[in-house]
Amino acid sequence: MAKRIAIVEDDPDQRANYADAIIKKGYEVVAYGSRQEARDCMEDDLPDLVILDIILGDEVDAGFQLCRELLSKSPALPVIFLTERINEIDKISGLRLGAWDYLPKPISLEYLAERISSLLRISEVRAENPEQESSTARRIGRLGLDQEALLVSWRGHRIDLSGTEFRMLAKLVRAPGHAVSYATLMAATMQSLVTNNTINTHMRNIRKKFEKVDPTFACIKSEYGFGYRWTPQ
Amino acid sequence: MRLRKGFRGPRIGTKLMLLSLTLLVVPWFSYRQLLEMERLLVQGQSQAQLLTAEGISTLFNGREDLFNDLPVKIEDYESLFARPLQNNIRLDGSYEDWGDEGTERLLLFGSSAAEDGAFRLALGERAGQLHVFVEAVDRNLVYRDPDYLRLDNADQLRLSFIRSDGGDGRISLVFAEPGVVTAYGMDEDWRFATTGAPETGVQGFMAPSTSGWNLEFRLPLDMLGSRRYFAVSLADVDDAQTRQLTNLTQTLPKGGEQSFNLVVLRSPEVLNIIQGLGYSGARILVIDAQQRVRAEAGAHIAAISSTDEDFFSGLIHESFEAMRPVIHRISTLTPWVDEAGVTPVQSAADVISAALEGESLALRRALDEQLEIIMAAHPIVSKDAVIGAVVVEQNIDHILSFQRAALEQVILFSVVSLLAVLIALLAFAGRLAWRIRHLRREASTAIDHYGRLQAAKLRREINSGDEIGDLARSISNMLSKLHQHNHFLENMPRTLRHEINNPLNTLSTSLQNLAEESPGVQESKYLASAKSGVIRIGSIVQNLADAANLEESLKAEELEIVDIQKLLKSYMANCTAGHPDCEYVYRGVNRPVYAEASDFRIEQLLDKIIDNALDFHRPGTPITVQLDVRRDYLRIVVANRGPVLPDASGKSLFDSMVSHRGPHNRLHFGLGLYVVRVIAEHHGGHVRAMNLADNSGVAVMAELPLAAAKAVPPNQGEAAASSGETPVDQPNQYRAAS
Repeated sequence: MAKRIAIVEDDPDQRANYADAIIKKGYEVVAYGSRQEARDCMEDDLPDLVILDIILGDEVDAGFQLCRELLSKSPALPVIFLTERINEIDKISGLRLGAWDYLPKPISLEYLAERISSLLRISEVRAENPEQESSTARRIGRLGLDQEALLVSWRGHRIDLSGTEFRMLAKLVRAPGHAVSYATLMAATMQSLVTNNTINTHMRNIRKKFEKVDPTFACIKSEYGFGYRWTPQ
Repeated sequence: MRLRKGFRGPRIGTKLMLLSLTLLVVPWFSYRQLLEMERLLVQGQSQAQLLTAEGISTLFNGREDLFNDLPVKIEDYESLFARPLQNNIRLDGSYEDWGDEGTERLLLFGSSAAEDGAFRLALGERAGQLHVFVEAVDRNLVYRDPDYLRLDNADQLRLSFIRSDGGDGRISLVFAEPGVVTAYGMDEDWRFATTGAPETGVQGFMAPSTSGWNLEFRLPLDMLGSRRYFAVSLADVDDAQTRQLTNLTQTLPKGGEQSFNLVVLRSPEVLNIIQGLGYSGARILVIDAQQRVRAEAGAHIAAISSTDEDFFSGLIHESFEAMRPVIHRISTLTPWVDEAGVTPVQSAADVISAALEGESLALRRALDEQLEIIMAAHPIVSKDAVIGAVVVEQNIDHILSFQRAALEQVILFSVVSLLAVLIALLAFAGRLAWRIRHLRREASTAIDHYGRLQAAKLRREINSGDEIGDLARSISNMLSKLHQHNHFLENMPRTLRHEINNPLNTLSTSLQNLAEESPGVQESKYLASAKSGVIRIGSIVQNLADAANLEESLKAEELEIVDIQKLLKSYMANCTAGHPDCEYVYRGVNRPVYAEASDFRIEQLLDKIIDNALDFHRPGTPITVQLDVRRDYLRIVVANRGPVLPDASGKSLFDSMVSHRGPHNRLHFGLGLYVVRVIAEHHGGHVRAMNLADNSGVAVMAELPLAAAKAVPPNQGEAAASSGETPVDQPNQYRAAS
């Protein structure tokens, strides 16, 4: 049975483009143009994954509101924000609500499809063995990394990373002790417009999440003028 | 010329002060007014006195009998008029204390004033004594020789009179030396004294003079008897050897019928008439045709004494007296002359003479420094002839003291009010200037060095009701409008990004779908260029929005202690690896340099500066990066060889959207160095760009404050503390071009 993807986007052209691209990948798509419509239709029939725009018509925070409502019903539902609001504060509040990823426009449809499939797979994995490391889990020193389930732990504590952050971290620890360039990290974000600053911001956020569970965390080092390096403690 | 350029006019305070000086017109006007008032008052009193004199004179009109009250016909006698004396007379042979100008107007006896033996005579009466002054002309003064018993062989004065007992009286006044004279009663031949003892009732004093000698003496009036027949003769002896009498000049009546003169005193009847008329402060004199005072009533009231003044008013009075000439001079532009002594004394006699000629006249004259009087004279007429005059004298001290007091008050009031007004104006001007100054300060701090709005409105003076309040409100209004506009401009990139990103996303996704749909299009170069166009627009919008958000996102970042030297070294190592075609040279310190910073922002700053240097450097020349440490700041200098800056752009280079790249340049908005400036300023530092000393290139320097010693972790503290002390030599090439 094909997975059902819900798209909430007020602009009909973009909505159609997303839908076309995703349908081509073999998914079932339901698309909504307003918060009201989306909420009414998803009331008792939840899709497998939801793509949300934040601004819907005149409601500037409609996406956030919708996300909150959906996750209160089904906390494990993968939600992706796809928006032109790329301020740090919006991104943080979106991820804090429990969204799995936060993608700025303009988006590459190829990347989007890839994300969707990976998130659906992760969702499946998580649903099969919740709170358990899967067979794909790796250990790098004190870091636990489960690529399949999108799960990260440090000294046994679980760390919640967004999809983008997870991919960047995975790239960073692929060869511990070696510097990873900005360009490599940019590719890992699977976004079309990325600057050094975007990488720096992501890295800082990742660091902060680690420091929250371990104040002495210092494995992510800046390699000024080049990129970052993971140095095992 | 330069001075005039620098001077824009006086401050508000000075202007108000200058304006307040116009208040000086008040004392000036008052002074003029008072002078005029004084004149009017004096004139009024003169009129009043003239009327009084006229009124009194009508009492005497046609009453010759009052003036001819003597028992004999006065024409038969050369009457010797004894005038009443005002002062005490010292017997010293001097006429000065008689209260008259000179002796020229005295009665002259003898054929001429130059002839030997002639003399002038003055008689006066005071306190029952008859005072006589004789000015004798005598070429050879012969003193009495005490060896001779005879008295007629020396210069002497002889008095003939009828004694009160009816007998003839003869007295000689003789003198053996200058000084006290001796009086002897004489025999009929004037040769010997009748008794050996001198007449003690008669005292006199002789003093030699240039033309002869003066003799002053007095005798009791009651010696003369009731009829007061009296004659004076001068016996002149010129030869000290022979001692013969040369001349005998006498005061005999004209007709020779009588051998005596009459001593005429003031007339009791006239006195009785005017006695009742004497009013306070006025002195009334009745004068006959021979200018003799026949009666006198009243007296001048002495000037108001100033002894009861207290110290303070005395001080005011004195300073006022000292100031008055100056005030007078300034007010009237004529030199100040004290009224006392302004009128010659003889003009008093002129007034009397004029009155005796039938004309009435009033005159202001000063008797002395304290006393000033108005003297009014009116003739007494009988049968078309003037038989005398009435003189009314009254002092005008009350007018003058009134004027003086008024003047003092005016001056005092003016000074006090002027001071009060000046202080009030000063306070007002100060307050005004203070308000304007604060308003100006607030208005000028509302916009910072880069022209950015710091405040959307003013807080000061907004509620003031006056024009400054209006100004403040209008500036505030302007600021808030500007703020709205600025807000709009600041939000522009964000709005733009938001508005552009949606259609851009449509475009981008459509292109992707199109490529998917028709596989033939995939290889089309048009699709590739359309895709790259989308990416470029996206990055433009992204860059703009990033620059606009930079300050905001910097605020959200936490600063930590960063070793700038290590960062720089690592950065440069990566640069060399990243751009192998360009050589990088590091100079400067080789030990930790700590600053409180956000490391990746510093990295971003370096990115932009190095990018800039790379863009402008001449291929084959190295890019030099130098780190200097000063007392409390560090300096990163990035220098490259290549085109120099146009002169003026040193500062504007760091403004947003300013680029000095040529028109052929690739995607560039001049945002790079703007980002550098914003980051440096966020860290409390600043940036500068300058040409190298030899004009071979450009150096961009960023100065950042060093971390405070206490902020540096203990294991790093030592290095940080020492970093400030070591002087770092600065190569010449980084000095400013000019």
